[in-house]
Amino acid sequence: MLIVKNLHAGYGTSEVLTGVSLAVKQGALVALIGPNGAGKTTTMRAISGLVKPARGEVFIDGRPVQGMDASRIARLGLAHSPEGRKVFGTLTVEDNLLLGAYSNLPKFFGFRKKSAKDLERVYDLFPLLKNRHLQSAGTLSGGEQQMLAIGRALMANPKVMLMDEPSMGLAPVIIEEVFTIIRRLKKEGITLLLVEQIAKRALEVADFAYVMERGHIVAEGTPAELHKNESVLEAYLGEVSSVV
Amino acid sequence: MDQIMVFQMMVSGAFMGLVYALVAYGFQLTYATGKSINFGQGELVMVSAFICLSLTNLGLPYGIMVLLGLLCGALLGLFVERSAVRLALEQKSEGWILLTIILGLLFFSVSENIWGRDDRPFPTPISSDAFQVFGISVTPVEISVAIGVFFIMGLIELFKRQTLLGKAFEAVSTDRDAAELMGISANRTVMLSYAISGVVAAMAGVLISPITTVGPTMASALVLKAFSVAVVAGLDSGFGVVAVGIFLGILESLTSYYIGSGWREVPGLTLLILALALRPTGIFGKAVIRKV
Repeated sequence: MLIVKNLHAGYGTSEVLTGVSLAVKQGALVALIGPNGAGKTTTMRAISGLVKPARGEVFIDGRPVQGMDASRIARLGLAHSPEGRKVFGTLTVEDNLLLGAYSNLPKFFGFRKKSAKDLERVYDLFPLLKNRHLQSAGTLSGGEQQMLAIGRALMANPKVMLMDEPSMGLAPVIIEEVFTIIRRLKKEGITLLLVEQIAKRALEVADFAYVMERGHIVAEGTPAELHKNESVLEAYLGEVSSVV
Repeated sequence: MDQIMVFQMMVSGAFMGLVYALVAYGFQLTYATGKSINFGQGELVMVSAFICLSLTNLGLPYGIMVLLGLLCGALLGLFVERSAVRLALEQKSEGWILLTIILGLLFFSVSENIWGRDDRPFPTPISSDAFQVFGISVTPVEISVAIGVFFIMGLIELFKRQTLLGKAFEAVSTDRDAAELMGISANRTVMLSYAISGVVAAMAGVLISPITTVGPTMASALVLKAFSVAVVAGLDSGFGVVAVGIFLGILESLTSYYIGSGWREVPGLTLLILALALRPTGIFGKAVIRKV
């Protein structure tokens, strides 16, 4: 569903990604883990078009998308719940969700009616958002904003969803909730690429994982395989090795 | 008698202030989405007014002339965006400042050559015969300015709040990257904001022309004051411009009454300097915390 081949990207003259290749099959939950500054977020941004890749290819559903504007890639079926959540703070919760489905909705009138089913589905997943649907998104707590960011990405019924650091800056109880949601999305068969700082939690839910270090992939495998790989644990997943 | 005169000055000043507010609102629209403004906005006001004048001379009825004039405003706005602003923004440069000024100068010379340098009266079916309200004389033309300003601003605000495209406009203003991730094209939204800003400029031209007459220099002072209003109110605050615009209009007319008409440009510029020195985000603006 999502295939990335030999992706190079960076900011200005500094190259952050030096040849990243990965694949996410339909319905799979793939985790991308690694230390801070490894280039995980840049990988996400290069896939979704926020950073223009210098070299390499990205395929969504077999279609090459590298070099396109982010909005065009989004219209082709990629949803990206970005690092730091990036909800539209001045708009209401419901407006945020409606904008998530922007490409599928009429632009002037009748967009509420057309999005009713998808809204219902997201509210079903996050009852809390329904209670606050008229509140402006900026007044939500960090955890609530994360739920909103995920809900907003789901509104588009994406072919592939990227989720960048959903646990960032959240309390442990809330992180628990976020991962409950991720498990539920997995059960629903949503194709998901998850970047996570807390590697242990990511490996618990993932079908497959890539380990990233200094701009490229250094190890890959199922969570079980990675757990067997002591050197990977030691070198790249300090957090995991202390817990496992 | 003297008191009535002062009130009279204040009322006419307030009507003028509404026009400043309208042009300032046009600045806000493009600043919100593209973080850029058209420094040649005054020339858009002027060119649209000239086009409207020519359309009227062709014998078109007033209503159709206004609609066509607004359409021309939109096209001029799009032209500015495409030929100046986007070139600079694509290279992440501040070159749009100079490019829009140059484009304004170009519009200025072209209009001088097409329409001449003279100020010309602008025919309007709305009467300019004053009537008295509590001893203060008000003209229907002035009332039409107020109605026109609130009508167009209200319409645009309604668009921004009630349609999905309008919400997308807000989204791009708040967070361009996040909006792109929703499938909203930031480029197209910036284009749209320049088109709407052009409509606003044309509307300002239609509204003030009967009062100021139409000429190549009709909007050069206007745009400077509108800029002061936009900066003092804050480039991101919707209706703050109305309050500041009216305030400046009143201040100006009182200045020219008490001190002399040669001083009427002073309050606006003083306010601009004070605002830039003391509160660069504007009275109603939000302080911007820039994450690095």
